[in-house]
Amino acid sequence: MKLSACFGLLLMNLGLLGQVKLDQELPLYAPTSGISGNLNSVGSDTLNNLMTLWAEGFQKAYPNVKIQVEGKGSSTAPPALIAGTAQLGPMSREMKATEIDEFEKKFGYRPLAVKVAIDALAVYVHKDCPLESLSMQKVDAIFSKGRKGGYAEDLASWGQLGLTGDWAERPLSLYGRNSASGTYGYFKEHAIWKGDFKDSVKEQPGSAAVVQGIASDLYAMGYSGIGYRTSEVKALKLSPKEGVAAISTDPENVYAGKYPLARFLYVYVKRAPNSPMDPLTREFLRFVLSKEGQEIVIKDGYLPMTSKLAAQALDHFGAN
Amino acid sequence: MPISDGQSRGTPPRGLPTSNRRGALGRALTSLAGGALAFNLIMVLGLLLLLLWQGGAYFWPRDLAWFELADGRQVLGEIHEHRELRTTAASGAEPIYEVRLKTGNREPELGGQDFVWIREADIKRSERPHDAVLLERRSWGPFFGYPVAIRRGDGVIAEGRDGTFRKLEQLVPEKAEHFEKIRKLEKGEIGDVNYEIERLRLSRRKLSMSTDSSPDKARADAELQRATQVQESRFGALADRLRDERQSLEAEILVIESIDGRRKTMPVSEVVRAVRPNELSTAGKIGLYASRLWEFVSDEPRESNTEGGIFPAIFGTVLMVLLMSVIVVPLGVLAALYLREYAKQGPLVRAVRIAVNNLAGTPSIVFGVFGLGFFVYFLGGSIDRWFYSEHTSPVFGTGGILWASLTLALLTVPVVIVAAEEGLAAVPRAVREGSLALGATKWETLRKVVIPASSPAILTGMILAMGRAAGEVAPLMIVGMVKLAPDLPISLEWPFLHFERKFMHIGFHIYDVGFQSPNVEATKPLVSATALLLIVVVTILNLAAIRVRNRLRAKYATTGL
Repeated sequence: MKLSACFGLLLMNLGLLGQVKLDQELPLYAPTSGISGNLNSVGSDTLNNLMTLWAEGFQKAYPNVKIQVEGKGSSTAPPALIAGTAQLGPMSREMKATEIDEFEKKFGYRPLAVKVAIDALAVYVHKDCPLESLSMQKVDAIFSKGRKGGYAEDLASWGQLGLTGDWAERPLSLYGRNSASGTYGYFKEHAIWKGDFKDSVKEQPGSAAVVQGIASDLYAMGYSGIGYRTSEVKALKLSPKEGVAAISTDPENVYAGKYPLARFLYVYVKRAPNSPMDPLTREFLRFVLSKEGQEIVIKDGYLPMTSKLAAQALDHFGAN
Repeated sequence: MPISDGQSRGTPPRGLPTSNRRGALGRALTSLAGGALAFNLIMVLGLLLLLLWQGGAYFWPRDLAWFELADGRQVLGEIHEHRELRTTAASGAEPIYEVRLKTGNREPELGGQDFVWIREADIKRSERPHDAVLLERRSWGPFFGYPVAIRRGDGVIAEGRDGTFRKLEQLVPEKAEHFEKIRKLEKGEIGDVNYEIERLRLSRRKLSMSTDSSPDKARADAELQRATQVQESRFGALADRLRDERQSLEAEILVIESIDGRRKTMPVSEVVRAVRPNELSTAGKIGLYASRLWEFVSDEPRESNTEGGIFPAIFGTVLMVLLMSVIVVPLGVLAALYLREYAKQGPLVRAVRIAVNNLAGTPSIVFGVFGLGFFVYFLGGSIDRWFYSEHTSPVFGTGGILWASLTLALLTVPVVIVAAEEGLAAVPRAVREGSLALGATKWETLRKVVIPASSPAILTGMILAMGRAAGEVAPLMIVGMVKLAPDLPISLEWPFLHFERKFMHIGFHIYDVGFQSPNVEATKPLVSATALLLIVVVTILNLAAIRVRNRLRAKYATTGL
C-alpha cells in the first residue's frame, strides 16, 4: 500500500488511540489582507460536505470571499478545471493518466494534487448482522464478477460467509456507488483488483444513500466512506489476506496504514510552474491545512491530516 | 388536459353520451373514470399526508429521556424510534425490542455519536429529568445535557444547573442580536470595501493587459494603486473592528457537561436556543415549533446545509422560475403566433409542430447538456472573452441563474407554444373578420383582439411551464445550481440582479440532504420538510398565475369574446 509507506513512521509516535484527535502541532490559520473574489469548486461528492464546511469556515475569516460548491462526483472535477469553470477540483481518488494528459494538453503543465484529508472506505452491513469481519479476497468475491483476487468461489449468500440459521439461505443484497464517483473508482481499483462489479450491485447516487439502503435492508452489504457511518450500520473489520487478523476502521489503524482501504482525499488545483499561485486559492488551501480546517475534517467524520503531512502538502505549493 | 381550457368554452361538450344508449357499458366506464380520479386523489393526499407527518414532526420538540443501563452507563436523549430487532422480526424468534435514542453531542470530546440503539431489556431505570437541557448550536449539532457554568474573563458569572440555565436564557437573545450585528457589518461595510478592492484590482489588471504604453497608462495605474491603498486601509480598520466585535461576542464562555460527565467549553454565542424540553407547556412547545419553522424558512443554512434554514434555496427557486417565465412566454407566444397566423399551413408547418411536441418529450438532462455546451461554454465563454477578459475566474463562462433559466425556458417552451396555439385557434373567425372589416390591419387585429382574447390560454401554458420548471432538478445540476451559494443572486450592489451568480434550489437541496448528507440519520426528516416546502412554493406560484388568468378571463368575458 502506498499509504502505509507514507504513514508508517510519521504516525507511530502520535499516540492516537481509539478516538480521532487533532494534531496539536498543526498551524493556526492567520488571515492575510487583500483577499477577495470568487472560488468555484466542482468535483467529488464525498468531499462535498467537507468543501461546504470549509467554505463556511473560510468565509468567516474573509467575509466577502464567495465560494460555490458543486459536487456530482470526482470525475466531474478534471473537465471543470480544464474548462476553467472551477479553481478547486476536489477528488476522492487520484487523477487518472488520461485526465492528467488532457489537462496538460490544455495548459502545458500538470495539475497540482493537494492532500487535504484521510478517508477510510468501509464495508458496511446492517447493525443487527452477526458478521464481524471479512478478508479482502472475500470482498472481491462478493462484489466482483471476475474474482481477480483469487478467491475460489463466487460468494452470493450469507451462508457462504459462515452465517447460520435464518441467514444461511439469504442472498447478499449489494449496494455501491455510481460510476462517476471516486469512491466507486477507488473500490474498483483497491478492493476488487480492477475487476468488474457484479450487475446486482445497486448503484446509489450518493454515499449517504448507500448507508441508508443498508440501514433499511437487513441482508445488505455495501461500501461507502467512513464519514457517512450512522448508528444503523456496522463497519466490518477487514483483513488484507485470508487467515490474517482483521483490522477495524479505528483511526490508529488507518494512520498506521494497516487498514486496507484507506485513502487520501485531494483537492486538485491549477498552478503554472514558476509563477505564484492565485492568492485566493492559496489562502483557501492554507486554511484547509490549518488546525481550524482539520478540525472541520473531524466534524465531517473523516480523519485529519497530521502536522507533518500538512506541512508536506503546503510545501508542494510553496505556501509554508 | 388543462391545455384544452382555452378552446372548450363555447364548443359543445364532447365525451361520452349521457343517454342510456350504451347501458351497462356506459355505467361501467363512468364508474371506472370516477375510480381513476379517486385513486389519483388518494395517492396525492397520501403523499401530502406522509410529507406533513414526517416533515412536520421534525420541528416538534420531543421530551428528553434519561436511561440507566444494565452496565451502569447513563444516556440522555430524544427517543426517535421504538421497534423490534430486525433479526428477530425476520426469523420469528422471541421478539427483542430496542429504542433509537438521539444523544446529540456529535463532537469527539463529548462521545461523538449522534444516535445510539439501546435494547429495552438493558434499561434498568428511566426518567424524564425536568432540568435536562437541549442546546441548539451553530456548530456540532444539538447538545443534550447540562450547562454548568458561564465564565467571563477570569470570573464566573453563573454557576450550578439552575443558575446557569437562567443566565443562559437571558444571554442567548442578546448574543443573537450581537451576532446579527456582526453579520450586517460583514455583509455590509466590509462587503462594500471588498467589492471596491476587487473592482480596482480588476481595473489594474485590465490596464496592464492593454498594449498602450503612453504615460497616461502609468498615471492611471498609479491612481488605481492609490485608490486601492485607501480602500485597504479602510478594510484594515474594519477588520480590527470586526475582530473586537467578535471578541466581545465570544467573551462569555459556557461550560457544558454531558450525562456521562464529559465537559466541554464553548462561547455562549454558539448557542442558538436553550430549552428544557421536559418543562415546556403545550403553549411553550407550540411557540418553539413556530420559531423553528420560521428559522427553517427564513434563515441561512449551517453545517453543510444540515441545519439552519433554507431561505437561499427558496429564493433561488422562485427567482429562477420567474426569470424563466419572463423568457419563455414571449418566446413561446411569438412562435405560436407565427405558426398559427402567418405560416402557410402545409407539410413543413406540420413537421415543425411535430418537432415541437417531440421536444416536450426529450429527457430533461439532454437540455441540461445542451445548456452547458451552448449557454455556459459557448455563449458564456464568449461573453467572458469579450467583456471580462481581466477576470481571473470565469464570470458568465460558468453555470449561473441566467443560464439555468434559459435552459429551463427551452425545456418548457413546447408547453407554452401548444397552449398559445390552442388559444389562438379558439378565437372565433367572426371576431377577427369583424376587426378586419373595421379597417384594422392584420397585425392590429392580432395585437388588439386576438392576443388579448387568447391570453388566458397563454397563461395556462405559463402555469404548466412553471410547475414543470420548479420541480426540475436534473438539468440544473450542470448549469449553475450549487449546494452552497454564498450570496443571493440579488443584492444592493449594481446591477442589483446578478444573473451570473450560482444559486441554490429546493429540489437539489432535497437530493443533497437525502443522499449525500454526512449525518443522514439526523437529516432524513428534513427531506420531507423540504419536499413539502417545495410543493407549497409551487402551489403559491401557480395560485398567483391562476388569479391573474381568472381576472383576464373575467375581463374578456364582459367584452363578449
